Amino acid sequence: MMRVFAVALDLLYEAARRRWFLALGGAITLFLIGLALSLQLDVVEGTLAATRLFGDDISGPMQAVDVVLRPLYRACAYVIFFGGIVFGTLACADFAPSLLSPGRIEHLLSLPVRRVELIAGTFLGVLTIAIIGGLYGALGFTVVLGVKSGIWTMGPLYSAVLAGIGFSAIYGAMLAAATFVRSAALSAAVGAGVLLAGIISSFRADLASLFNPGIWRGIFEAFTALMPRFVTLAQASADIAASAPLSMGALLRLLLGMLLFGVSMTFVAAWRIERMDF
Amino acid sequence: MSFAIRATGLSKVYGGSVFRLGRSIRALDEVDIRVPPGLVFGLVGLNGAGKTTFIKAVLGVVRPTSGDVKVLGGSPEEISVRRRIGYLPERLYLPGAWTPPAFLASIARIKGLKRPKEEIDRQLSRVDLLADAGRRVGGFSKGMRQRLGLAAALLGSPELLVLDEPTDGIDPLGRVTVRNILMEERRRGATVFLNSHMLSEIEKISDHLAVLHRGRLMCQGSVESLCDSLEGWRVRFLDPPPAQLAKTVGFALDEKGPWWRFEGTDAGTFNSGLAALHEAGANVVEVVPVGRDLESLLARVVDSVRGGKQERPANVEPGIEGRDHDLESSGASVQDGEEAA
Repeated sequence: MMRVFAVALDLLYEAARRRWFLALGGAITLFLIGLALSLQLDVVEGTLAATRLFGDDISGPMQAVDVVLRPLYRACAYVIFFGGIVFGTLACADFAPSLLSPGRIEHLLSLPVRRVELIAGTFLGVLTIAIIGGLYGALGFTVVLGVKSGIWTMGPLYSAVLAGIGFSAIYGAMLAAATFVRSAALSAAVGAGVLLAGIISSFRADLASLFNPGIWRGIFEAFTALMPRFVTLAQASADIAASAPLSMGALLRLLLGMLLFGVSMTFVAAWRIERMDF
Repeated sequence: MSFAIRATGLSKVYGGSVFRLGRSIRALDEVDIRVPPGLVFGLVGLNGAGKTTFIKAVLGVVRPTSGDVKVLGGSPEEISVRRRIGYLPERLYLPGAWTPPAFLASIARIKGLKRPKEEIDRQLSRVDLLADAGRRVGGFSKGMRQRLGLAAALLGSPELLVLDEPTDGIDPLGRVTVRNILMEERRRGATVFLNSHMLSEIEKISDHLAVLHRGRLMCQGSVESLCDSLEGWRVRFLDPPPAQLAKTVGFALDEKGPWWRFEGTDAGTFNSGLAALHEAGANVVEVVPVGRDLESLLARVVDSVRGGKQERPANVEPGIEGRDHDLESSGASVQDGEEAA
């Protein structure tokens, strides 16, 4: 297990020196600083009396501040979920192809580490990056709004973790693709494809009715049944961020399916790499 | 006797397995190589001879199609075996944004080394990179990268060092440094298995050699038995000797210039011939013994295969006999059917 952590740690070290991730960290920090400096909330006894953004008054009718902030937290959850997934799909696409590149993989395989540990370490490292990135943005957003409004909630942090789990399903497929064709572009394309399929599968019940009953509808239903439902998870993530009521049973089933998909894809990658010559 | 590396009937075929389409390439063909422990073993051959495939099979990076490899008494896939191996690939990928200590720390973590900081500094010092420890690897020259790769291979004082072109891209003084390090490792008791195109380097530092050609083992044995045997003399005269007489006493004009070549190893016959030519008025200016160096050995192996004269060139056989003798004298048993090619 220590070797898996060692591989994951190397990946984090490498990511910390990549322009993509430095740019992401910089962009999130700039956004949070800009929000902190430009947003002014006047809260009087739990009610939002006035709101100014860059000095302009954007106040609406007076409402309880937690009610006003809910849509903001919800929007934050959606941005972290889909923004994080799209960013991660692009920025993490070449980790696995780079790991498998000539001159590196044979060196790694000469070390006391198993092939499956390389795959597990890479998966764990990318999952950690995704969760850290999401948590950083969510924590900053929560702190800025918390300081300004006096309302503190853990919702955005939970939603960031859900976004990381959602991305793990996509990265599992990307990892598996990289073991078949060592290409960052293909890996990213597979990630985008899984995301699209996952969005479609979130509306499978509605979309299935577009097909006439028969073999095509059956194929559509079977295919979308296997795909992780990203929109459904994003909605759940937004509900948590906004402290809206949520069925925990449904959420757990969703997360279980998501993890199952990601881990299954990682097993495919491990199965493939065990049979490869380098 | 236990061997550091023992390959038995090792074959590797690439490609041609998907629906039996495509052309398959036999990279290794029934290769039997035994590497005694504590020695420097050189593997030579032309491009495409199968040297890198052999090394990868030794490391478990490539799975053999048939045959067996034992490294340090176990399978190359065993973690406990890999912990005792240091490897320098031909083209090592180094993350450009990393510093040398960070790269070596990563290797040390995977190897599970205790007190890695001291070991990293020690190895960086050995390869003359301690002064550049704060620089990023991306700005390193090819030679510096190669030396960093060597430091990575040396981490943890492995029992077996497998080095693929260790002096590639390194300047002459750097090559001396590498050679000294390899000699130090040999004195420490490590086995060094190296593959290089620099035949003179291999000849200088290796105790044993194996020659691969088109995936087949052509010969293996001690360097002395394969390379240093006397084959004759080359003689330069002040004035050309009478051709007929020279031919009669065993001399032939060398095709490369004003040298006469005497084929044979009997010093008495050679001196008698020289005396006869001297009496005929040919004054000797220079005499050079002709031995078989690694370059000529390789050339003969290749020529014999290209000419299709025989599977294994006759002039290599003494080396194989020497090898057998050498292994026997070192306590090794001679493998049945070890006849290469």
